[in-house]
Amino acid sequence: MTGDPSAARSRPRRRFVLADDTGFDEVPARYRRFYRRWRGQGDALEPNEVLCPVCKVVIRSARELWPGDRVYCMPCMSRLEVVRAESGRLEAVVRY
Amino acid sequence: MSLDPGELHGRDHAAFLREVHSFEFWFQSVEGYLHGHPHGVSPDAPIPELDAARRQALIATLSTYCVGEVAALEGSSGMIGFAPNRPAKIFLATQVVDEARHLEVMLHRLGELGVEDAEASFEAQSNPHLLAFRDRLLRYVAAKDWLASVFAQNVILESMEFAAFHTHMRTADPRTAQMLGGVLKDERRHIGFGENDLGRHLARHPEARLRLREIKRELDPLVLASFEDSLEQLGLPRSERPEVGRLYLESVARLGLDT
Repeated sequence: MTGDPSAARSRPRRRFVLADDTGFDEVPARYRRFYRRWRGQGDALEPNEVLCPVCKVVIRSARELWPGDRVYCMPCMSRLEVVRAESGRLEAVVRY
Repeated sequence: MSLDPGELHGRDHAAFLREVHSFEFWFQSVEGYLHGHPHGVSPDAPIPELDAARRQALIATLSTYCVGEVAALEGSSGMIGFAPNRPAKIFLATQVVDEARHLEVMLHRLGELGVEDAEASFEAQSNPHLLAFRDRLLRYVAAKDWLASVFAQNVILESMEFAAFHTHMRTADPRTAQMLGGVLKDERRHIGFGENDLGRHLARHPEARLRLREIKRELDPLVLASFEDSLEQLGLPRSERPEVGRLYLESVARLGLDT
């Protein structure tokens, strides 16, 4: 992850403990805590989560995500960058 | 080499790609949802009784799916021979196994529905637009045309299957839904491979978009007609149909092929 080098951050990133079993079973067991199923439009994402636009799986990180961070979606093998959408929400865009 | 899982998002791209394109990654991934599921379903999942109309519709739908799976099985196995690098060849080898399994579980489900020789009859029952699409795909493969093959198979066909199976699961009987759920999990890898492989190529060779747009223009009518027919068969209301094609449209937009 690269962080958000441009922003003058006034606080450190929050850390998150990733539960071992999210019920997601599509990647090797040691990586499962980094992913969970998306429950559709009403599914509120946590500050350490972002939705993969390619395969619609929720990607999780052990720390709060900021614009500029890089995350990987293992289920569809995509490299993504976290961006702030016009709506203010964090989104992921594919970086081939 | 596998890196520390705690550093998942911190690894470099090349190491990530090496791992996710490996047979080892594939094996450990499918083990999570296929172990203990003969023919893609839990052994205690009952075989439901379906009325005649529903049974017939399901036979026709599964027959169409079988054509898609055979196309992808023949397509991905043929593509191994001219894939541009070893990781792509290995990934395609895993896709071949996935597609073979999909075909097998679908034929098995057709057998459960009382179809006596499913293998001999599914093509006659299937959608003609998808048959035409399959012929186009296999022509690209026979010509060893990597870009066209990846686009037709892993972006167009796989997106179409992903959306169709996802939609079908909402109304399918529990046994069929469970089987489709396992297939859907494989499809994530296939669509991701296609989009990312093409995306990397187009970043280096943006001029290739012109040709892919042409291919898209030729194949879109077949794809859309196949979609329409399948959704009609599944009884999905017209109002919900644009949602189903969204995955494909989003993918081609990200690749810059939508104009």
